[in-house]
Amino acid sequence: MSASTESKVVSVDPSRLRLTDGEGTTGVFLGMRCRDCGIYVFGAALFCQSCSSGDLESVELSGRGILYSYTIVRVPPAGWPGPVPYVLGEVELPEGPHVLAEVTDIPEADLKIGLAVAMALQKVQDGQSETARMVYKWRPIPQFTGVGQEETR
Amino acid sequence: MTQFKPVRDVVVVGVGLHPFGRFPGKDLATLAREAVVAALQDGGVWWRDIPVAYFGHVYYQGMSVGETALGALGLTGIPIINVENACSSGSTAFWQAYWGITAGVYDLALAFGAEKVPGGPVTVTAADSPERYIGGDHMMAGYALRMRRYMEETGAPAAALAQVAVKARQNALLNPYAHRKQTYTVEDVLASRPIADPLTLYQCCPTSEGSAAAVLCAREALGRYGLDPSRAISVVAATLTSGNYNGRGSDHSAFSPYRTEPAGRAAYEMSGLGPEDIDLLQVHDAATIGELQQIEALDLAPRGEAWQATLEGRTALTGDLPVNTDGGLLAMGHPFGATGIRMVHETVTQLRGEAGPRQVPKARVGMAQCSGAGDVTTVHILAR
Ligand SMILES: [Zn+2]
Repeated sequence: MSASTESKVVSVDPSRLRLTDGEGTTGVFLGMRCRDCGIYVFGAALFCQSCSSGDLESVELSGRGILYSYTIVRVPPAGWPGPVPYVLGEVELPEGPHVLAEVTDIPEADLKIGLAVAMALQKVQDGQSETARMVYKWRPIPQFTGVGQEETR
Repeated sequence: MTQFKPVRDVVVVGVGLHPFGRFPGKDLATLAREAVVAALQDGGVWWRDIPVAYFGHVYYQGMSVGETALGALGLTGIPIINVENACSSGSTAFWQAYWGITAGVYDLALAFGAEKVPGGPVTVTAADSPERYIGGDHMMAGYALRMRRYMEETGAPAAALAQVAVKARQNALLNPYAHRKQTYTVEDVLASRPIADPLTLYQCCPTSEGSAAAVLCAREALGRYGLDPSRAISVVAATLTSGNYNGRGSDHSAFSPYRTEPAGRAAYEMSGLGPEDIDLLQVHDAATIGELQQIEALDLAPRGEAWQATLEGRTALTGDLPVNTDGGLLAMGHPFGATGIRMVHETVTQLRGEAGPRQVPKARVGMAQCSGAGDVTTVHILAR
């Protein structure tokens, strides 16, 4: 594969993740905030998913959160380009939305509801497409404040 | 939620089922047709009297399979509507049939569903969706996320979840139509192959092939079509809701499974009945955790306590609230398009007193709840 093809990197889902540097190694979560009721949604929305208002603003969402639930997927869905098994984490952002993604760099024994995690981008090239995708993952972080309580590990 | 008012009483006059399992020699239309013929025979209904048909199915097996299936009976020019609403496609077809009759558009309606589900993990999104790279689109992983939350918040032990599967197999043993006909113990369930921790293989429903059908009629029209009122079972509630995420995205919480709460409450309101009136229950147990959460969401057990009711045997055939009396999705199997109507079939069979060795004594009111991707929930209440 040529160098020019290798450098072609896109966000796995531009409505949810904006890449913020030329190499695509850093990024920010995108969402919407309802100006009427104040709730946030992850990704795009035309109307508020809580009060149906059309008065929404585009916002950047926090790239950190706490592990709300997790599972170790041992039989992956068809086409999964990553390792098997993999840890699937459901993470609650400080703004409220839940974001599902693989949790990387964590021994199984350390997995625990309430764990502090941060977004980490990983380049995924699966052979079916010459475009590499930057995919958001979760990675444990030592400390995080922001969901009403302080957590330390 | 807006709920239209029924105008005419609607009854189920006939039900039919094709066994659930694997049938490599039969195409979808043939599978579907066998249940239809069984339902027509069961109700003593002439095919030529059927003015509309709704067909639930999900996986693509060619266009207009509903028309192909019914073509062999002789196409009579009636509207035939192919319905896709994920795992609740069949119950959505039934819901449409109900509302068509109560509103006065039709006197009779056929609701049927069939499926040949491919093997392997079930996903919701298209193959080129970003979800394929993110890894979050995996039906059983979603249930596993709910299950971990539920266990964390309620203290439910793994054995209580496993007991749901054990009970399902015991009920299926009394059901000649079931996909799975071998019982096992709590230990077997927990030791089976892990799929998505803490879910093990025996806590996930098999993907199946099969079909189910029901014929509905306006009660006031029974005489006109020469139908027997003595075996007719009333449909006293029919509700359907779809997703509302409240901005949280994929929220796999312990206490708000899909849209069951609003659909259930609307069904109680529509029927004038309450949880205390329900004699038997069919719920969407695609995974063991599903059964517990649905029981609670339908106000048939206090929040966080359905697992205790399960361990105490209260949801078994001999308990005070028998749940998934035919084996449920876990043991009966889960051909998506057929499942919701299979639940109606079991409820009607029980309320008629025709369930043989798995008969629930003195059953007068039965509820059937079916979930589907897109946070779809249907709830039907049937009464004798
Ligand atoms: Zn709002």
